[in-house]
Amino acid sequence: MKMANEANPIIRRNRPGTKTKDWCNWEDESFDEMDSTLAVQQFIQQAIRKDFTNVEQILNPPEGQDEGVWKYEHLRQFCLELNGIAVKLQAECNPETCTQMTATEQWIFLCAAHKTPKECPAIDYTRHTLDGAACLLNSNKYFPSRVSIKDSSVAKLGSVCRRVYRIFSHAYFHHRTLFDEYENETYLCRRFTKFVIKYNLMSKDNLIVPILEDQQTIEGESEA
Amino acid sequence: MIEDGPGSQHGGQLGPGSGGLGMVTKSQQDDGIKQRPQYSMPGILHFLQTEWARFEMERSQWEVERAELQARIAFLQGERKGQENLKQDLVRRIKMLEFALKQERAKYHKLKYGTDLNPDDLKPPNFDKENKDDQIDGEISISTSSGSSNATWRQGRQLLRQYLQEIGYTDTIIDVRSARVRSLLGLQTQGGDNDADISQSVLVNGEQQLNKRDNQGKRAGLKKLGNMGNETALIDAENAVMTTFDFLNQSNVVEDEDDLSDENEDGMAADDESEERLERKGIKLKNDTNESLAGVDDNDPDTEEALAEFHFLESEMVEGAEKRDSPSGEEEEWVVDQRHISELKEQYKKERKGKKNRPTRHALQAMLATLGGDDDDDDDVSADNNSDRLPSDENRDDDVPAGGNQINYARKPMMGMPDDEENDSGMGLGELAGLTVTNEADPMNYDISAPKEVYRKTWNAKYTLRSHFDGVRALAFHPVEPVLLTASEDHTLKLWNLQKTVPAKKAASLDVEPVYTFRAHIGPVLSLAVSPSGEQCYSGGMDTTIRCWNIPNSSIDPYDSFDPNVLSDTLVAHTDAVWGLSIHSSKNQLLSCSGDGTVRLWSPGNKSPLLNTFTVDSEDGVPTSVDFVRCDPNQMVASYTSSNTYIFDIETGKQVLMLETKLNSDSSGSNQINRVINHPTLPVSITAHEDRHIRFFDNNSGKIIHSMVAHLDSVTSLAIDPNGLYLLSGSHDCSIRLWNLDSKTCVQEITSHRKKFEESIHDVAFHPQKPYIASAGADALAKVFV
Repeated sequence: MKMANEANPIIRRNRPGTKTKDWCNWEDESFDEMDSTLAVQQFIQQAIRKDFTNVEQILNPPEGQDEGVWKYEHLRQFCLELNGIAVKLQAECNPETCTQMTATEQWIFLCAAHKTPKECPAIDYTRHTLDGAACLLNSNKYFPSRVSIKDSSVAKLGSVCRRVYRIFSHAYFHHRTLFDEYENETYLCRRFTKFVIKYNLMSKDNLIVPILEDQQTIEGESEA
Repeated sequence: MIEDGPGSQHGGQLGPGSGGLGMVTKSQQDDGIKQRPQYSMPGILHFLQTEWARFEMERSQWEVERAELQARIAFLQGERKGQENLKQDLVRRIKMLEFALKQERAKYHKLKYGTDLNPDDLKPPNFDKENKDDQIDGEISISTSSGSSNATWRQGRQLLRQYLQEIGYTDTIIDVRSARVRSLLGLQTQGGDNDADISQSVLVNGEQQLNKRDNQGKRAGLKKLGNMGNETALIDAENAVMTTFDFLNQSNVVEDEDDLSDENEDGMAADDESEERLERKGIKLKNDTNESLAGVDDNDPDTEEALAEFHFLESEMVEGAEKRDSPSGEEEEWVVDQRHISELKEQYKKERKGKKNRPTRHALQAMLATLGGDDDDDDDVSADNNSDRLPSDENRDDDVPAGGNQINYARKPMMGMPDDEENDSGMGLGELAGLTVTNEADPMNYDISAPKEVYRKTWNAKYTLRSHFDGVRALAFHPVEPVLLTASEDHTLKLWNLQKTVPAKKAASLDVEPVYTFRAHIGPVLSLAVSPSGEQCYSGGMDTTIRCWNIPNSSIDPYDSFDPNVLSDTLVAHTDAVWGLSIHSSKNQLLSCSGDGTVRLWSPGNKSPLLNTFTVDSEDGVPTSVDFVRCDPNQMVASYTSSNTYIFDIETGKQVLMLETKLNSDSSGSNQINRVINHPTLPVSITAHEDRHIRFFDNNSGKIIHSMVAHLDSVTSLAIDPNGLYLLSGSHDCSIRLWNLDSKTCVQEITSHRKKFEESIHDVAFHPQKPYIASAGADALAKVFV
């Protein structure tokens, strides 16, 4: 469209000096016109920037999109945005008060980042989980390409989802104010919950944060 | 009695002659009488006899002495020869290493540009083995069994073997040599049935003495064995000497030419056969030894021994003469003398032999051990081996092959030689040849070694830093350590220790995992600076803050518990995204520029850290980049979206100078400056423009010095090497380019990152001390080049 107009093409750049309000403030690019290898990430981020509350739209893949890559890029984006909640938790979640990673009293989560799983304080669990997810999702071994992903590697996404979801649940049950604040800014937990349900990455029993008024209905919708 | 006798004789003769001459004769007679007693015939005879005897005795003593000295000289010359060969060997090895290096370079070149380097550069050192190439490519087995390089490979191998023989030409290795000589002689019978021939002779040799030479040599060995039971160690040497000598007697000084011609026959078959033969000979020698242990021979032991010794010496001499390229006249003279000596002083030499032989052995062993040690790349160990081995060597007749085997076990898997090629394992030589060959592979490990300095350095991707989820906006090296910091749009900064690598799948580059993740920014992190001490770093983000971090130890456990003290301070004053940071090299001062239109000067750590704020007219827009003027610590330079660039006085906050950046820019459309940096030593500012240019300005006049189209797309980032000789630029055309600041020419271009939207490379950096450069990409990767 606009790209065709050679006299004044849109160049989508955040040049040095760009003001915060102008960050990525450019006309949407259709997925077909995205010719870079990072098109899926661009597409997802564009959708989020357009309206982060429109979770359905964000999770709606472009036609013909490889599902593995789609899930992978979404999970990257979740981990990226989870940094925000981690920053907030760093200020509030004290290792002396939250000595264990818990949500409800039912489970104590052991941190899988260590050689032998360890009872890390919640904040460490959060950081370690995000760092570990960053390592795994950027691993040259499992995810050498962001364009095509092996099925065996796609299978790893479920466990990453399970672990990072605990960050939501811990924040929800122990730092509710923080959680609500962040959720209002990002709709991240809603999006995540819908994402894992849609792609069946976690069992519903584990989705303990009642973020969706009617998760059954949502589920039914997404399946429909 | 003596006086009387002669006197009367004279008187009787002269007296009767004449009266007139009486007086004269009288006086003469008187004189005569005085002298006469000394010249009595028996006296003279006796005197002459005694003198003669004495002279003879002395002469014989001299002969002995001379023989002794000559023997000594022979020994020393042998030693010298050995040293020379060792030296030669080392020189050759250096050449090999050089060649291997060239190969490596060519390989890189080929990989990189897809074309071959000038093939002339790749000629292997001509005196040496071509099989180096094969080794390096790891294709030795293939190329030995087939392929066009066969002939050259073989030739090279032969040469190597030859020089190894030279090196160990003294007694221990001579058995090897003699075996070889025999094999050469055996060429006369060369044909399809060669092997059979030899094995036959091996079998028969011990008792039937078909082969005269073998016979002789063996006899010497037998004799020795019989007489000196525990000196079996010498037998091999003896045999070898004998055969060598015999051979020499025949072909005399032509031996080397023989060798060469043999080798020049090249051809697979001949070579293989000679190897076969060598091996058999080795076995045969052992057989002989065994048989001789039975001690069946009736020759005079002493004679044989002396003869052997003589041969030994002579062969030594002749070899010495031949192997050196010096005129052989004097050596031949020595050879003759050797004969003399041996004839005159057999016994003496027998004594010597015990003494002399062994030191030679030791020397040789030492040489061999050192050689082996070198091959193992471990001199210490070799020294140990050496001392360990020596005592036991005395009583072993197969010490060299054993040594070879020993090393061979370690080497063989690496060499990957087919068995039929290397089946001469009974022979020290085959092993040694193999050793040196294998050595060629080693240089691969040192591809960044010193010689490269001679050439223009080519940067190659070494580390890929993957862990960010979104574009990497900035990176900075630790001032000393091989440590890197990156700042990303994913809200985090990461600390990377380049020494903690994870081997990547394809081994082309190494993966590094971050050792620490800095979380505090809410939103993308856009700028980064590391303090000159390397203890702190500062990051500016979209969230308007500048964060001051204490950099954790680079060997920290990545999954250590959270330490809130890593974030030491937050500088708040900007009201929009912080896009640029620059740190002073000596003062504790930090410059920041922000989308709010201001440039600020900070003193991090102070109670009131904000020192100054610099503003410009609103038409100039927003500052995009700042830098201290490196050669004037009181000035700083800031570039603006309007494509103006100003130099400020830090103290007063006033503009000192306007660089003519806008004047020289394309006025149509936006041509903002994405980065401005200052030369570390010269009063020069360099700007990176959206219009693909890099421009150079004089800080004193503000005039443009040079302008060049540097990239295919906008130039985003610049970095200058610590010495101010090279400029590195990054661009959204996905490439980084290295520029020679002197000639302003592009030295190297590396395609480094992929695009996200229209962005590709956000930042580049030089390590302040180490040979690293790095680029940060919108594709969430950072790459480090060496």
